[in-house]
Order: sequence, then C-alpha cells, then structure tokens
Amino acid sequence: MTRVFTARRIITMNPALPSGEAVAIRDGRILAVGTLEEVQGWDPEAPVDETFADKVLTPGFIEAHSHVMAGGMWTMPYVGFFDRRDPKGKVWPGCQSLETVIERLIEAEAEMGDDLTDPLVAWGLDPIYFDDERLLAPHLDRVSESRPILIFHASGHLATVNSAMLARHEIDADATTPGVDKDGDGNPTGELQEPPAMRLARSGMAKLGSRLGTEEAMWNYAAESRNAGHTLVTDLGTSQLTEPDQLERWSRVVNDPEYPCRAVVAMSSAFGGPSDPAVWAEFSKELPDHETDKLRFGIVKLMLDGSIQGFTARVSAPHYYRPPEGHPGNGLWLIAPDQFASILETYHRAGLTVHVHCNGDEATEVFLDAMEEVLTAYPRPDHRHTVQHCQLAKPHQYRRMAAMGMCANIFANHIFYWGDQHRDLTMGPERAAGMDACATALRAGVPTSIHSDAPVTPMGHLHTAWCAVNRVTASGEVLGPDERISVEEALAAITIGAAFQLKLDHDIGSIEAGKLADFAVLEEDPLTVDPMTLKDIGVWGTILGGVPFPAAS
Amino acid sequence: MGHHPRRRSLPRGQLIPVTVIGGYLGAGKTTLLNHILASTSERIAVLVNDFGEINIDAALIESATSSTMTLTNGCICCSLVDGLSAAFDAMLELDPAPDRIVIEASGVADPAGVSAFAHGPGLQLDATVVVVDSETIQATIDDAYVGDTVSSQLAAADIIVANKADLADVQLWLTGRYPTTLITPATNAVVAPELLFGHAPTPRAAASHEAADIFESWQITRDRPLPRAVIERYLHSLPDRVVRAKGIVWSSDRPDRQLIVHRVGRRVTVRVGPPWPGEESTSLALIGLLSTP
Repeated sequence: MTRVFTARRIITMNPALPSGEAVAIRDGRILAVGTLEEVQGWDPEAPVDETFADKVLTPGFIEAHSHVMAGGMWTMPYVGFFDRRDPKGKVWPGCQSLETVIERLIEAEAEMGDDLTDPLVAWGLDPIYFDDERLLAPHLDRVSESRPILIFHASGHLATVNSAMLARHEIDADATTPGVDKDGDGNPTGELQEPPAMRLARSGMAKLGSRLGTEEAMWNYAAESRNAGHTLVTDLGTSQLTEPDQLERWSRVVNDPEYPCRAVVAMSSAFGGPSDPAVWAEFSKELPDHETDKLRFGIVKLMLDGSIQGFTARVSAPHYYRPPEGHPGNGLWLIAPDQFASILETYHRAGLTVHVHCNGDEATEVFLDAMEEVLTAYPRPDHRHTVQHCQLAKPHQYRRMAAMGMCANIFANHIFYWGDQHRDLTMGPERAAGMDACATALRAGVPTSIHSDAPVTPMGHLHTAWCAVNRVTASGEVLGPDERISVEEALAAITIGAAFQLKLDHDIGSIEAGKLADFAVLEEDPLTVDPMTLKDIGVWGTILGGVPFPAAS
Repeated sequence: MGHHPRRRSLPRGQLIPVTVIGGYLGAGKTTLLNHILASTSERIAVLVNDFGEINIDAALIESATSSTMTLTNGCICCSLVDGLSAAFDAMLELDPAPDRIVIEASGVADPAGVSAFAHGPGLQLDATVVVVDSETIQATIDDAYVGDTVSSQLAAADIIVANKADLADVQLWLTGRYPTTLITPATNAVVAPELLFGHAPTPRAAASHEAADIFESWQITRDRPLPRAVIERYLHSLPDRVVRAKGIVWSSDRPDRQLIVHRVGRRVTVRVGPPWPGEESTSLALIGLLSTP
C-alpha cells in the first residue's frame, strides 16, 4: 500500500534534489519525493496524510557513537547540572547547587520502599560547575542516615557515598585503597576516587551495574533517541556479544515492531570477552545471519587512549597545558602502539570496519601509521575505517585520513560541556580553539559525523549539531570560531555522514527513492532558524520505515 | 546479597595475596608467570590483561589446579563498565578460593592502577613485580610513545626483575634510577620464590631450585599485644637486606582485630584485618639475603 505524507518542507540531504513537499512511501521504503503532484504520479489513489503539513521532515538522525547503557541510567534519579529529558519525556531540571541535589535525593528516597538495604543510587553529578564545593558524606546523611546512598559522578571516575554506605562496607579510617578520600582526622569523607575505591561501595556499584545492560535499558535508549529525532542507535561497542543469548536478545528487542529505532551493534574487546582478535574475527562471520533491516553489525570498536578531561588522552608535544600536580606528563595507552597494527590487520583482513577511539592526536597518529602499514600490505577498497572522537586531530592528520579513505566521527559536544576546561586547563587557548575541528575535516575532504557518546554527554543530535555550528561553551564563549560549520554541513554530518561511516548510506541517511523511509519530524526548519536556536527546535518525533513514532511528552 | 557461605580452601576471613606483574611488551612477563606456576604448588588464579593468544603453559595450569581468566584492555577512562573490577569479582567467586591471585598486566598498563584493586575486600596486595628486558630497557625508556609509560611502570614496582641479564647488565643503571626498589637480575625470568612470594619454595619446585641458599629466614612470635606505632617503626627500620617481611600482629590499639603487616623491599603496608579466628598472638616472618650481592 502506498501512503503519501505532505510537509511544510522536506530537507532530503540529497544534493541533486535538496528539497520537496511530499513523500510517497510503500512497504517501508521511499517511493518518491518531490511535489505532491510528482509523487502522486506513482499512485494517484494513494491516501494523502496531512498530519505533518506544518512540520519539516529531514532524514532520521543517526547517532554513530553512543552506548546502550545511556538507557539504563534512566532507571535511577538524575542529579546533573543541565536540564535533561528522560525517555518518557519528563524534563529533569538541572541541579545547579548542592542544595538542589540534596532536595532531589530526598524526594527520590521518599519514593523508595521500606527495605532500607536497597541503596539509593543517583547519577550525573558534575561538581566541576559548583566552584569547587564538594558533595560529601555529611550532605548525603541529610538525605538518609540509614539507607546507603551512592552518587555516581558524570565523569565516571568518582562516587560519593553517605555514612550508611561507608558503614555497610566497613570503609573506615583503616582503608588502605588508594582513592578513599580522607579528612584531616583520617576518616573517609565519602568521596571515592577511581574504580578501585568506588568498588569498595559494592552494593551501590552492583546496583548501578545491574541497570546498564538490561532490556529496559535498550528500550529506554531507543525512546530517548526517538524523542530527539533519531531513527538509528549504535552501541559502540559491546564486549558481551559472544555470550549466550546476547545476539538473540538484540534480535528480539530491536526487531519488535514497537522498537522505535534501527540499531548498529559494534563488537568490542575493550570491556571483556575473548582477548584474541582472531577469535572475534571468526565470530563476526556468523553476524550477517542475524542482520535485518533494523539490526546490523560489521563494526569493531577499539580503544587506544583515555580522555582529555581526565588527562589520560595521548597528546603530542607540548602535551598538557596545566595538568594536576603529580601528573606523569602524558596520558595512558589502552593498547600498546607496537601491538596495534597487528590487531588492526586482523580485523581489516576479516572485512570488518574498524572504529578506533582516539581522543588525543598521538593516538590518532598511531592509528594512521598502523593504517598505512596495513593498507600497504593488504589494500582493501572502501573500508571506511573511522577515527572516533578525533578531538585533537591536526590538519595533516585529516589530510592523511582523506588520502587513506578513512572517516572521522568528531566529539562536537565537548565544545559545550568541557570547552572552557580545555581552554583553561587541559589544552590552552590555541589548541582548544582547534579541537573537534569539523571545518578542517570537511576542508580536507574527510567523510565526517559528530556525536554525543551518550551517556558521557546527553544524546540529541540537534544539540550536537548546534555545538558544531556555534562552538559555544557552557560559559557562553565561542571557542575556535574558524572551526564552525554551516547548519547544512552539520545536518549532513548527523544524517548521510553518519550513515556513510556505518556503511548504510545506500539505505538510510537521505530522503531518496528506494531508501528506507526514516525521517525526523521537526517543528521548525533548521535551515532557516537562527543557528543559535538550532538546539531549541521542537521534535514531534520520527517516522521509521514509514511508521510515525511520536516523541513522549 | 543472597550469597550462601561456601567452603573455601583458605580459612574464613583470610585475605588472598595478589601478585601484580607489569612491564612492557617482550620483557618476559609471561615467562615469569609460567615460572611462578612451575615453582609453586599453591592454587593460583591467573588473570591476564592483554590482547592476543595467551601463551601460558597449559600443562602448568592443569597441574597446578589453577584457573585462568583473560581480560583485554579494560577501559580506564570514561567507562562505567570496569572490566578489571568485574574480573576481581569473578576471582573472588572462585570455589574453592585460590591461594594466590597473579595478574599479568598489559604491556602498557600502569601496575599501580591494577594493584590498587588488591586493597579491596578479601584481598591483600603482596607485591608489584615489574619485568624489564635488560637489553632494550634503556632505549625503550626514551621512546617517544611509550617511554613515559614504561617509566611509570618502573616507578610503581616493589620488585624490578632485570630479565635477560645474560645479554646485558643494567643493575647499576636501574639502581641509580630507582634507589629504593628491590632489583634482581634474572635469566629466563627465573626469580627466587623467597623474593616473589616471601616464602621458601614449596616441595613441588624445590627439586629444581638451586638458589635458595642465598636467603635466610627468621620467625618472630609474641603472645602479648604491641602498640601499632612500635611495629610500624620496627618494619621501617629493617635493613635493606631484609627483602620480605610479613605477618599478623596483635596490637594494643585494636586488640579485637588482626593487624596485617607486610614489607616488600622498602614498602611497608599495615592494615586492619578480620577478627581473630582463635587465640591472639603476633607472628612475623622475615626473609633476608645472606650477604649483599
């Protein structure tokens, strides 16, 4: 059956026909886009649906780098600094002081059951915005003196617990684990720094961990994506894919007609699973049997370094600007540079697309050098291997990426969330201005996308596009105005650009005859609004395979 | 949280010693691991944190009734899922419990980051052992990509094994850089168990062990409580030739709990342990070199 949707404007992201006013859909795919008269040429009897007559359609947004655990976080209270909308559409106002954090927790504790052994776990705290005022056990003791509480910070490197949690796990003055913060008298303050210390609060960390990979997390993840106009989620990547039932579970959930997104699930050895790349490469051969229009594989994710804000990314000279006292001078390798080429070779020869986490430019250099070595020995057309995050890549590195047929997925959200810190602490003004260099990438001809890395930063491609277009930091300054890109370029990055690096651009990413009918339904035209309001455009929801999925409100 | 008490080979409340092996690619970490498995009859749980095939001698694993787990590069930056933490959970679940956990860190891991986990519940950090390739270490430490990594590894060591000592002698160079660290030369990563574990070789390995006569050991026991400060001072004041000291102390500050003390090289750890299972008493074991090598 054919169905026609009309719209105020259809932005196709197909340069050969950039705009239309109607789209005809048959069997979940696009039959035609153009004027109403043109698309009716295929089937003059087709019903015309005018629900979206005053809306703007774009290709469905594609987030090519985020994590399913983002959906799991929403099963627990949010205490972050910025307003955030949960999968059900409820807006959680940002907690902009420690007092509001405590109030939020008191409310959440009141809603919990009588079982006081069940810990209260909340997430998203980012005291970097609180002028050095720290959340400590005495604050949380005001919430409850008997129920253990754990607050998981946005950085992922810190947790704050209350006295009940300290007592429950016997974390006291005698604790010798590095990272158990202590006051002048030698007693724990409640702040647990880094995983070895965080791990001591076992009941809290166990509750957190148990929420991240559930089916509820998968549904939440897609719901939050749909609310933001996304029609495809990635999990970049999972180490559990080889475990029994994992493939079956992804298939069952994603192929459910009610599931509002397509999914690309990347395999990764970064968090467990087999250690030998050859085992993963062999395993990947069975993945195509599980692929459907909604669920795809074919990507492997590797990690070379840490994060810039954690001073653990590998950064070339002159290294970090104002690192904390005792910092060793550079970041951490997660894979030895000498070992990397052979790992890359294994996956490259298996025909997989390799996406490599490279925050620092030294990590990018190691990836590029290994890529050149492997490609010289084993040429392979159209591999689309991708530098992920790519935050400090330099112009010459983008030129090398272009020359080798590689892609860049740039962490544009960093400009807003940590741009001020990068300018003042990690990189200094010059290199901070050149971070997340979307304009340089495009000038060099590198196929580019941009991402949120949710849950590291909130998911929402209009916001991510806004970051790349405006480069405004949390304090309101413009960081590196010459790396700003146009709204049109940003829209391409979050649609056809992302589809390209997932090797799905034949099927999604633009509105063209024959492609899957995946659209974002917007209240305003992103190409005509003031670019500073791009992030504020209302999202009605999405159309996935021709089926409308309204956002939760 | 719903776990039933299980039979353990260690008495309840006893902490499992953890040995962390670090060092750059090719230094001989796996060789040392295989040597450890060959030279003890302890039940050892092995965690290997690396890419690629794991080259542990399967026969040793079997005969030592040990178990192996592997972990690739557990993310240490912005990840909520901490692979290492999960691996420790799994090791603590092993039934029967192992006598010792040995972790071979990846070639680029900071051993201090790994050993930090060994202060956790049920665990006791025994020693951080960093292996270097004597032939290449002086070049590696200047390498633009990994020099700082290797430098951090060495700084985290309680014991540095200067491996491949038959090919090059870097003992002096290492002593100059790390004057307070215990440094031992080795060939094929053969290191005396007295150094590695703080006790004499177990029967299974004794037959092939020739170097034991360079060590002597002492036992100290007392059946009256001692102030914690006194015992700490004593441990810090031991001469350098005492390479290992460990034991359980009855302290007058916390008489209800065992005070677990430990010295490797010059690092002293004092920790409040579990309650006394039976009679309180202080018992210390010291191992020292017979003469300065």
